[in-house]
Amino acid sequence: MDRASRVERRRRFLAEAGIGLLALAGVAGCGRREADPLASVRPEPAAAEAARTEPVTPPAERTPEPFDPPALADLDRTATWIDRPVRDGLVLLREEQGREPAVATVAEALALANDSPAANATILAALGRLPEPGQADLGARVDRHVTGDLGSTNPIMISTSAEFDILGLTGFGLFSFDRRLEPFATSDTVASWQTSTDGLVDKVVLRDDLVWSDGKPITAHDIAFTYRVIMDPRVPVPAVRSGTDQLRWVHAYDDRTIVFFHREPLATNVWNINFPVLPRHVYDATWEADPTLKDSPEHVALEQAPVVGGPYEIVERQRGQQIVLRRRESWSTVRGKQVREPPFFKEVRFRIVEDPNTTLLALKSGEIDEMVLLPEQWTTQTKGPDFYDRNTKVTAPEWVSFHFGWNIDTPFFADRRVRRAMTYAFDHDAMLSRLCYGLYEPAAGPFHHTSWMAPRKKPEPSKQDLDKAEALLDEAGWVDHDNDGVRDKQINGRPVPFEFTILVNQQPLRVAICTLLKENLDQIGVRVNVRPTESTVLQQLTQEKKFQAYLGGWGAGTDPDTTENVWATGAGRNFIGYSNPEVDRLFAEGRRELDRAKRAEKYARIQEILHDDQPYTWLYWRNSFYGFSKSLRGYVFSPRGPYHYSPGFASLWTPRQD
Amino acid sequence: MKRSPPPEKGDSHHVPVAGGDTAPATGRGLQTNGDCHLFPRSTGFWAEAWRRFRRRKLALAAVAFIGGLVLTALLAPAIAGTKPVLCRYKGRIYAPCLGYFRRDLEPAIFTKDRFRGTYPRNLAEKDPESWAVWPLVFQDPSRSVRADEWPGEPANPARDEGRPSRRNLFGTDQAGVDVFAKMVHGTTIALLVGFVSMGIAGSIGIVMGALGGYCGGWVDILTSRITEIVMCIPTLVLILAVIAVIEKPTIWHTMAIIGATGWTGIARLTRGEFLRLKGAEFVLAARAAGAGPVRIMLRHILPNALAPVLVPITFGIASAVLLESSLSFLGFGAPPPTASWGSILNDARGNLAMWWLVVFPGAAIFLTVLAYNLIGEALQEATDPRLREARK
Repeated sequence: MDRASRVERRRRFLAEAGIGLLALAGVAGCGRREADPLASVRPEPAAAEAARTEPVTPPAERTPEPFDPPALADLDRTATWIDRPVRDGLVLLREEQGREPAVATVAEALALANDSPAANATILAALGRLPEPGQADLGARVDRHVTGDLGSTNPIMISTSAEFDILGLTGFGLFSFDRRLEPFATSDTVASWQTSTDGLVDKVVLRDDLVWSDGKPITAHDIAFTYRVIMDPRVPVPAVRSGTDQLRWVHAYDDRTIVFFHREPLATNVWNINFPVLPRHVYDATWEADPTLKDSPEHVALEQAPVVGGPYEIVERQRGQQIVLRRRESWSTVRGKQVREPPFFKEVRFRIVEDPNTTLLALKSGEIDEMVLLPEQWTTQTKGPDFYDRNTKVTAPEWVSFHFGWNIDTPFFADRRVRRAMTYAFDHDAMLSRLCYGLYEPAAGPFHHTSWMAPRKKPEPSKQDLDKAEALLDEAGWVDHDNDGVRDKQINGRPVPFEFTILVNQQPLRVAICTLLKENLDQIGVRVNVRPTESTVLQQLTQEKKFQAYLGGWGAGTDPDTTENVWATGAGRNFIGYSNPEVDRLFAEGRRELDRAKRAEKYARIQEILHDDQPYTWLYWRNSFYGFSKSLRGYVFSPRGPYHYSPGFASLWTPRQD
Repeated sequence: MKRSPPPEKGDSHHVPVAGGDTAPATGRGLQTNGDCHLFPRSTGFWAEAWRRFRRRKLALAAVAFIGGLVLTALLAPAIAGTKPVLCRYKGRIYAPCLGYFRRDLEPAIFTKDRFRGTYPRNLAEKDPESWAVWPLVFQDPSRSVRADEWPGEPANPARDEGRPSRRNLFGTDQAGVDVFAKMVHGTTIALLVGFVSMGIAGSIGIVMGALGGYCGGWVDILTSRITEIVMCIPTLVLILAVIAVIEKPTIWHTMAIIGATGWTGIARLTRGEFLRLKGAEFVLAARAAGAGPVRIMLRHILPNALAPVLVPITFGIASAVLLESSLSFLGFGAPPPTASWGSILNDARGNLAMWWLVVFPGAAIFLTVLAYNLIGEALQEATDPRLREARK
């Protein structure tokens, strides 16, 4: 091994260790989304939760070969351009809300206790509305909650959910998507967006009134530069390289024109062109000397006070305690003229609290204005006046699902009948009603039943049936031959008892679910050892396929293609070793199919195949449960929660006190 | 702390040993087989200590409490469980309750034929001739009792509804598991952790201290330095690291680590006692009589050095119980669903309104630690003549 690659490997190790620490900080939070090492998707800079399970693939595959972009005049001559949407998420939402009739007044909604779906709908409808002109207090501050500190303030190092929360407000981006996950270019930054009819080129013209927080203009060269940095194998980019690596090249023709060249016309190209942007004038001179982007003195200083292009800038950072963002006036006012709507909050303060009980106390005492509630907290600790005095709570579906993953490379789970037996043996009803307080919906496949890619016929939720489970195990040859109470089977001439270990993160609810599985399987002669594991260790063991079964979760990506790396043969996050040529083929076809309805059929078929194969035992969809201060308005939920889309957090506001 | 042996009571320091090589410690020129009736034999050191120990009512109560815990641990499956203590099934007699001690002691016949470990109904249905002796409380430490599992009884309440009641004496946790059953079965761990870890620590500590104290020289330097190095190892961090590394961590690993790091205080005390006693006349006499160093250490010095060493061991047991509880509280204890007092406290963290998840295990941990500390204190006073004098 040559020296360069050793150095690279060490750097990557360091980078991953850094992420590991952050994940650890999340664990103790027990249940915030950051605590889900396995609830992750491919990142979209404006959104996306922790993509820290993204394995770092060998750099060799990543480096783009040199590319000689055609002259812009040639490109314009040969390509036929189609205009693509350039929108403002806030305007879209306002139009949408303008069409909805008012259900209840704000006062009525604030007086309600959220104890029924009807009350929940009323609260969401009345308090989710955007302000009338002059209604919002533009000098207000909001105190948000995150469970872990930032690993880095550099937007291309984004990885954990806290980083998406915070850097999403300070970062500069060209693209976003609405709450139906429909992509568009944001009119705040983009003047026009065109795609060639062959789907191989995207051309974006930036607005000319964009400046970094240090006053220098934001240009197309910054974007082309960032692409080169992200794709440089020496830079330890944890998450955003995935997707970006599908691009052929990114070229800046002048200060405002940026062109993205694709390798293939894919349905996912629209997501691949969406990556965070660095200021070239700041990093150009320093990044080659220190590709980690955090070790050299210049980079350490930048880490403390980054130059940002988004609506907020970081003004204070107390490690492990809080991060304060302030509205950047140079975002909305350029050259003495207001060119964009300023965001509603003057200051956003992120409080870092790990323990969920402490967090709830902070919410009740008004120290923070919002938090994610656990099912137990939602049901038992937010009913009384101590909660409703200052706060209210809402719930909405979210596309985050949890599952038991069965390692198909072990002698136990190679057989489909065994995996189905596991699903039949598990007491799904007890889990949903007793452990999850009846708050989560049953899951039976990778795609949420309200999403466009799910089969039109909702899959039947699984039910416990021990008779079927025993019959399937008998059929698969797992019978208690030696009368020791445990089923066994001759494998390579040796009897192997059916005893396996299931890995689970230390969150009490998940441990309880695994304990329930143990109890259920114990009844039919299968022994389970539940092993609560610190989440970075869990992540490492699953990635290295050193496990027999685990409990984990995935958040939904913006596009069904993001699940390919979970199911395709040999894919990076296919921890369980699943392989089905038909699924591989359907994913490849789905990516190339540009017609939404035909694509949906492919993914629906994938879901059916997976349901038959049961490589996972799907457990539940974890919905969003949020507590909000009564002073907050404008929260609207997407399948990815209330923040991680456009407008997302930008739609929240506080009424003016008159 | 140091006990100076009154010369005229030299005999009381000395456990009588059979054989002629026992030199009298008094050094008054008596024959080794000298007439005992000349000097009325004083009560032995341990008998004397026991006599003084007995005077302390609290300490006796503590011993009784620990004894009660031992009984509870041994009889746990007969106190709370869902498996019969004894039953007759298809012509044979079984004791399925042993399955609570070791899973494979439960007869395989109760896992086959769709028996599924549910006894009350299946016994009657599959063999009308069968009979069974049931545990006092029909509750399981690792799972919730299902509806109608015991004919006519409802399922355990779950979530936050499991207040203490007639069916669930100490209430149930969020998953509906009976807290009383968990605590009864968790006694085993609470006891084992203390005894096993301090057994290990005591063995290592006494050996290291004895070698260092008796041999002196480079051996002493070596053992003292090792002791100092081990003192620097943070036990909690080491346990967390080991649990992360090993494939199947069990409570035994935790005990081994507590034992392997907790011996330093014992070693230092033992070394001090050996240093002091190796110059004593009875040791000199033993050496003069030709006893080897191992024999002197084990049979002559150790019995006399043991009393002060027992005290830190007793306190060590108390702190091991606390450490195990804190580990379980942090979620690093015995693998679930193994019941342990600390893990019940951990369940309480999610919802403090479920007071019964705090009060009962908290009281159990408190009382156990208190009991060990009382015993330790009483032991110290009973064996330390200076304290004894002060008391008079």
